[in-house]
Formats: sequence, C-alpha cells, structure tokens
Amino acid sequence: MRAVGRTAGLALGADFLGAPSPLTAFYRLLPPSTAQLLLPMDDLQSDHLKAYGVAYRVVQAGLRAEWLLNYRGGSFLVPDGDAIRRDAALAGVRVEPVTDTQVTAIKGEIEASNMDAVPLEKAPKVAVYVPPNAPPWDDAVTMALQYAGIPFAKVWDPEVMAGGLRTYDWLHLHHEDFTGQYSKFYLIYAGAPWLGEMVRFNGAAARQLGFASVPELKKAVARGIRDYVGNGGFLFAMCTATETLDLALAAEGVDIAAAFADGTPMDPQADAKLDWSKALAFTGGHLEPNPQVASFSDIDGHQVNAGFRRQPLGAFKLFNFSAKIDPVPTMLVQSHRDVIPDFYGLTTSFMRSRLKPSITVLGDEEGAPWVKYVHGDHGKGTWTFFGGHDPEDQQHQIGDPPTDLSLHPHSPGYRLILNNVLFPAAKKRELKT
Amino acid sequence: MRRRARAPAAAEAAARRRPVNRPVPALAGVAEPGVYPRLTRGGSLWLVAAALLVVPLHSVRAQVIGEAVELERTGRHDRAAVVYLAVLRGEPTNLAALLGLERVLPPLGRLPELLPLVRRALARDSTNRAFRALEVRTLATLNEPDSAEDAARRWIALAPGDEGPYREWALALADARRFDEARAVLVAGQRALGGSRAGALAVELADLAARRGDWEDAARQWGRAATAAPDQLPNAAAQLVDVAPGQRDRVTRALVEDPSPVARRLGAELLLAWGDPARAWAVFEPAVTAAGSPQAAFALRRFADLAGARGTAEGRRVRALALARLADVVPQPVAARARADAARALLDAGDFAAARPVLERLAADSTAPADAQALANTALVEALIRQDDLDAATARLAAVGDRVPADDRAALGRALVRARIRRGELARADSALAGDSSVDAAALRGWVALYRGDLKAGADEFRAAGPYAGERRDAVERTAMLALMQQVRRDRFPELGDALLTLARGDSIGAVQALRLTAGQLTAEGQRGGAAELLLLAGRIAARPGAGPEEQRTAATLFAEVVRIGEGGGEGTGAAAPAAELEWARLLLRQLQALEAVRHLEHLILSYPESAVVPEARRELERAKGAVPKS
Repeated sequence: MRAVGRTAGLALGADFLGAPSPLTAFYRLLPPSTAQLLLPMDDLQSDHLKAYGVAYRVVQAGLRAEWLLNYRGGSFLVPDGDAIRRDAALAGVRVEPVTDTQVTAIKGEIEASNMDAVPLEKAPKVAVYVPPNAPPWDDAVTMALQYAGIPFAKVWDPEVMAGGLRTYDWLHLHHEDFTGQYSKFYLIYAGAPWLGEMVRFNGAAARQLGFASVPELKKAVARGIRDYVGNGGFLFAMCTATETLDLALAAEGVDIAAAFADGTPMDPQADAKLDWSKALAFTGGHLEPNPQVASFSDIDGHQVNAGFRRQPLGAFKLFNFSAKIDPVPTMLVQSHRDVIPDFYGLTTSFMRSRLKPSITVLGDEEGAPWVKYVHGDHGKGTWTFFGGHDPEDQQHQIGDPPTDLSLHPHSPGYRLILNNVLFPAAKKRELKT
Repeated sequence: MRRRARAPAAAEAAARRRPVNRPVPALAGVAEPGVYPRLTRGGSLWLVAAALLVVPLHSVRAQVIGEAVELERTGRHDRAAVVYLAVLRGEPTNLAALLGLERVLPPLGRLPELLPLVRRALARDSTNRAFRALEVRTLATLNEPDSAEDAARRWIALAPGDEGPYREWALALADARRFDEARAVLVAGQRALGGSRAGALAVELADLAARRGDWEDAARQWGRAATAAPDQLPNAAAQLVDVAPGQRDRVTRALVEDPSPVARRLGAELLLAWGDPARAWAVFEPAVTAAGSPQAAFALRRFADLAGARGTAEGRRVRALALARLADVVPQPVAARARADAARALLDAGDFAAARPVLERLAADSTAPADAQALANTALVEALIRQDDLDAATARLAAVGDRVPADDRAALGRALVRARIRRGELARADSALAGDSSVDAAALRGWVALYRGDLKAGADEFRAAGPYAGERRDAVERTAMLALMQQVRRDRFPELGDALLTLARGDSIGAVQALRLTAGQLTAEGQRGGAAELLLLAGRIAARPGAGPEEQRTAATLFAEVVRIGEGGGEGTGAAAPAAELEWARLLLRQLQALEAVRHLEHLILSYPESAVVPEARRELERAKGAVPKS
C-alpha cells in the first residue's frame, strides 16, 4: 500500500491493495474523444465530496479536466468515457453528459459572467503531517481525503527534517502544536495514557533528531515547513496548527513554552522578542503567559478552552472574488453555500487585528472581530489557514466518534478543504529542492 | 483623592457586563470593535470602593463581593484585588474577601500582601479555623515551610483536638512533594487525636498514599476511613477502582483481611468492579451480615445495583443473591418487593430453577402487597413459558385472576400463544386467540394462518394488525412476509407454511431445504419472481452470523442462483437479484474476502442503479475499502 489513512483505511485510486488502479490504467486506453461529462456542484449533485475524488482521478490519469469556477457551484468538466462513468456511478456522483453545443453554451456563459474555466493538469502529491502513533482525535482532512478517494502519504518530524517534503506538492497540518506544549492538553487530560505516550514519543523524537527539547524540535520543523512553502509548496493548515505554526516561526530563539514542556518557564519578555516577520499569516500577537490557561495567544478569536473568554459560535460567510482576476481565492471558496455554520477547534478563528495586511481573507463572520479562512503567498508557494477542527462537528471532544462523511456528502465546510486539495492541480510548477 | 459619588443603582448599572457586541456596523480596515465584555473605564470600580468606605453595610459588602467574583471570572484579577482589599479595610475579618485575595493575588505575583491581612484577621479572631488554615496555606505557598510549621503548631496548641492544623500542614508539605514529612504529620495527628477517632485523617493518609503510588497503604487507610464513616465507602471505591491490575491483589488482600466488616465490604465492591462478582459476593455476604456491620440494607441495595450494572450473567446472578439477602433484613412490605426483584433478577440471569421457588413463595404470601404478588405471578408465568412448561403456565395464568392487571394478563396470554405456535400447536394457539380483537391478536392469527399455508388469510390478518402490533422488529418482520407473499401469488401454499414453521421452531437447516423445495415448485409454475424471493430468504437464513462453513457455502449457491434468475429477467425478478448480490457481498466480507465482495458490490451498483439497496451497497463498498471511520 502506498498510502495509509489514519484509521487503518486503504488508500483509494492508486495502489488499491497493492494492485495498480484499474481505473487510471483503463483511462489511458480510451481513444480521443470530444464527448464530455459535467459534474455539477450545485444542489443537484448527489455527493459533492466524492465528486472531487472523481475529478482528482481524472487528472491523476493524465486526462484534462476543467474546473468551472462559479458555474453551478464550481462544477467540473471531464472527458466522457466508460471508466469515468463507472467511477462516478460507484461513487454515487451525478454526471451529466454534455454535447459540444452545450459545452459551447456553458463556455459562453462563463465568459459573460463572473466565472472562469481553469484547466486542471496535474494531480498533486498529497502529504499529511501526523505522528505515527495516532493521537485520539480525528483529522477532518484525512477523513475528507479517504472519503473522496484521494491518496495521501503520512510524514512527520524525521521526514521534514530530512527534507522529505520536497517530494510532495501539497502538505496538510491539523492538530499539531508547533510550540511543543502538547496543545496544553495536560490541563484537561492529565493522566490520560495517550497524553503520556505523546509526551514520551515526542521527547524520543527530539532526542533522536538532536534537539534539546520538544519545543526546539517543533520550531525547527516549523521552519522546515515554511521553507517548503517558500520553495513552491502548497500548505493547508487547520485548527491548532495554524496559530502555533506562526508562533513557532516568530519565536525563533525565544522560549515561549511553559516549564512542563521544556523544563524552563516561558521567557517573561517573550512577547516583546517575537519576530513576526518570520511568520506567515499573523503579526502583533500576544502570547498567553499563564501556563494554566488552555490558550496559546490572542490570535484565536474564540478561545474555546479558556473558560470565561470562550466566545459563542456564529456562522461565517465566504467572500466573492473575481474569478477571472483572482482565480486562486475563487477556487478556494467554491461552494454551493455562501454561509457556513462555524465550528470550534483549539484555534477556531483569527483576530483581524492579528492578520498581516498582505493576506487574503476568504471567509469571515460578519460583524465579528475574527475571520475564519485566510490565504497568502510565501516565496514561490502558498498557504491557506482554516480555523476549527471539523466542519461537521461543531464541538468535537477528544474521544468523540469520528465524523462519518457518508452522512454529510454535501458538506460545504468539507468542500472548502477539498478545494484546497484540488487547487494545486490548476498550476504547473516544479518544486525546487 | 476624593471621588465624586454616584447613586448605587447607577454604579450597579454601569458595572453590569455588556453582552458580546454583535452585530456591529461593517468594520473599517483596521478598526476593531470592543466585543469582549468589559466595564466602563474604572469609574464604577472606584465608586464601589468608595461606597464601601462610606457605607459599611453587610448587604452592600455581599453584593460587592459578588461583583469582585465576577471580575475574577472575567480575568480582571487586579481589579478584583482592589475590591477585596477595599472590603477588608472596612471589615478585616471578611473571610470571602480573604479567600478571594488568596485566588487573585498569586497570578499578580502579590501573594505576600495576603499574609499581614490574614494575621490581622487572626489578631481579631484567633480561634477562627478558616483564618488559621489560610495562614498555613499562604506560608506554604510562599515557600516558607518553617513558618508554615510554626503556624500549624500554634494552631494545634490553640485547638488540640482539631484535625485541621495537621491536615493543612500535611497538604502544604505534600504539595511541595515532601511526602514522607506529610505522612509523618498526619500520623502524628492521628496519634495526638486519640484512639476514639481512629478514622481521623485516614482520608488524607489514603490520598497521600495514592499520590505516592502506594496503593496497598491507600487501601488500608481507606478501610479505616470507611470504618469510621461508612458514608466514605463510595469515595473510597471510586479512588481505588483505578488501581493498576498488577496491584489489585495486594489491595484486595489488605481489605479482605481487615477485621472491619466495612473494609471487607469495600474490598468486595472493588472485586465486583474488577470483574469477579462471584468472589465479591463471597466476601461481601458475611461482611454485610456480620455483627456490627452498619447500614446493612443500604449496603445490600448498593451492592445489588453495582452487580446489575456489570451487565454480565454472573453479575445479574449475584445481584439476585444480594436482593434475596436484602429481603431477609428489611421489614415488610419492602421485603416482599425485594424478594420479587430477586426472583426477576434470577430470571434475568437465566437461573429459572432458583427463581421458581422464590416466586412461588411470594405468590402464595397473602401478606405481601398486591403489586409484589402481581409481580411474582407475572414472573412465574413467564418463567414457566420460558421453561416450555406451557400447560402449567396456562393453568397458573387461569388461576391468577385479577391478582395480575388485565393488560399484563393479556400480554401473558399472547406470550403463551407465541410459545404454542413455536411448538407447532397451531390449533391450541388459534383457540386461545378466539374473541381477542386486538391488533396483537390479529398479528398472531396472521402467523398461525401463514404457518398453516393460508397465505391470503395471513396477509389479511397482517394488514389488519398494521404497524402497531408488538415491537418495531415484529412490524418489520410482518412487512417482509407481506412482501414475500405478494411475490408468491398463491392463496394457499402449505409447503411454504411448513417451511416457515420449521424456521420459527429454530431448525434453520431444515427451513433452508424446505424453502428450496418450495422455490422449485414455483419455478415449475413459471413464477420466477416468487422463486427468487424464496431462494433469497433461504440464502439469508443460511448466511446468518454464526452459520457454519457448509451453510455458508449453501448460502453462496443460493445467492448465485437468485442473481442468475435476475439476469434472466422476467416479471417480478427485479428486486431479488440486487438484494442477493448485497447479501452475498456481506457474507464474503464476514469471510474476509474483501476483493470478491467489492466485485459483487460494484456489479450491483453498476447493474442495478435504480435498486433500493444501492445506498446500502455503496456503504458496504466503503466499508470493504476501509473508508468508513472506526470509532
């Protein structure tokens, strides 16, 4: 097996049970054809999330697909063929055969409206940053990838430190605490066997890789990830990873970890010493000085575990962009719903006042001081941060059963995740090592 | 500096929290609305403090303390400290303010300010336990252990019979991880407090031992604590239940060999929690009935509840024994009820032989309350039915008369009918239903007709029963039979009735063979659809979980046959084939043949896209590919 999901699942598409994918192999035998299929992504679609998988596999097979931005919810236009129809039928994805005349009409409508047709040319190689000993929470992105049938590989600190990220086009971070404080879980879950194992495991990794402490290791990993983006990689981060990645980057050479993490208390002057020019998204944030408070900084708007500071959930609205002028943010917000119910995470949202001026806000809660979904460039690459843990589990607790996406095949929140997976396919690039 | 005074109501209103500020007008580029709850800028705070100085009323102070707690809650420790200090200026012995400062000063790095305030309070009330405890804690937190010890000793000298000083002193030492010294303090305290208070400080010693990982000592201390105060037993059990498996034997031995019956009861509860109900009862029973064992009835009821909560057969049996024992120690009418509960528990544990004499005794007890007698009689009839002694059950039901409520009698009557049907005594079942016009009776008459091969009458009765008779599972079963009979298209089919009765009597293999023969008859008549449905039913029976390899092979053969019939087309063949393919795939998955199962599921989805089972098939396909998350 080339790629293994968190729940011991089997990667779909390529290398199913060790055999080459019959689908992709069969595609290559198809004679050239002008017949096409439309995968609508409006309310007529029977499974929005799996539609991304169908589109991905078409591109993976070397065939050309198009992403019709803002057309019927961000539909896909793919070549018609038995194998593709078969894949869609098995996945329960609705397809509509379209004639040349219909395609012409569609393209005309796209031309005349705030829409665009973006070719998808290269299926990105996807990696998910996750430790080998799976922590007891679930990663919305790996669940989305498994459900859609998009293969992915797992990487962790040793791979990052060895430069292994260069072989991947797309990297996902979710629940990792790059400040090295184990998400401050000891405040709530002290004594839990999995937490003890996490501490032991990370400590061993730090020693093995030659770092004095776990916070130092995580900072080095954060720098490795930033360099990966700078060299042209695509980064998608959710939940704690968003805030802590930037804190780790800004805190180079500064002790921002509590004593339980590295044996020494946080530098009392840490706030003043942070260098936000090294971070990706945030600036001017203030660290949480109290190790007894389950919060990292004032970047997070909702402060879900900080007791009295916790803010109630609302809903966030996706922005409209010009598809022809700003195709990248347009791709990232493709959805059949503009307003999406919010959901908590250890980092749920990002305070506007802590955003760098250069970044693009993709979705926010109207009237609130925080935003939900942001995107930016760094060097030759791009990054996207999406606050919260699981779009279909508003208040996920450790130990809760994982979200079963077959019950949420139309999830607009999960569509945003999959937009990020597919968007690198729209660009041609070579990653420099 | 003087502050201008405002009316207290206005100050109160100004101090009230604002709600989260949403919605607000659209934000400018860098504008940030103040959305977090906040007070007006300091004004009300000084007014509150000023009010305290001017109007030293208890009611005002209580309200002000409430405001300070609210400030604390919103993280404004510095402002809360101001309020508490202001209160103490007017009332140096205000305990709520002192405790409030104990909470808010440490995050501000100002704890040393608390000590003189505590001592001032002590100067006014030297015997106040709370002040003494606060002094010891503060000194310990300030890392002045010698001073903390002095303070504790002064307290002991003032109150030699008080556990408090030893407790606070030991806690301070334990928090500094000086466990041995902490233990020495507690032991000294026990000695000083005398033999009549053997349980004194035992809870603290138990807690300390647990923190050190010495579970055997913790168990012994908990035994002493529970002996002195049996109310502590649930706390003791809650702490000790998490002991690692490697240490459980030592913990159990420490308690079971303790002369105190309460300590032995604690040991029994732990054995129960750790999955050994039989041994738990063997330890518990003599302990609870020993001389001097307090609260026996309460302990027996608690033990019975804990045993029942295990959910195992042995747990249920032990629960029954405890309830039976409870019946011996409580007066009537509670004893009768307990005896009835014990009998039910024995039935639930499957011990009919043990339950029957208990039930008969209770049923014959004319002094027992009416509901207990009804319970006993109902349970007795149920027990007789379960033991398949139907004639005795019928006689007993006839004899109980109105000692059992009418609804319960009717339910028992229907249970008897179902038992008769299962034995094939269709005529007796039918006659027992005579005159009963309920939907439940209609459902049972439907089955009787079906087993006699009268498909039309069976279908009519099932329709009359509707979805309301019995449980939901029963309604689904009847609906499935109706669907089957629609496909068979015969009014009478005795062979099918026999086959279904064979199934109802538990002979799966015989039923499968009989159903294959009936399918063959329908095939000969050209009823391919009906044949397919019968073969599908036979296949499902043969493929049931727990079936042996031979039956599973039979099931696969039957499913293949149904699929072939479906591929051949013909009226009524449409629904059975995809259903057979799905069942076949499920069988293959149970046989860990995922690849083959995937092949069938994909064939089903692609060949029968309109079939009602396609969503289930997709789900099974995902499961086969490992794409369904596991909880």
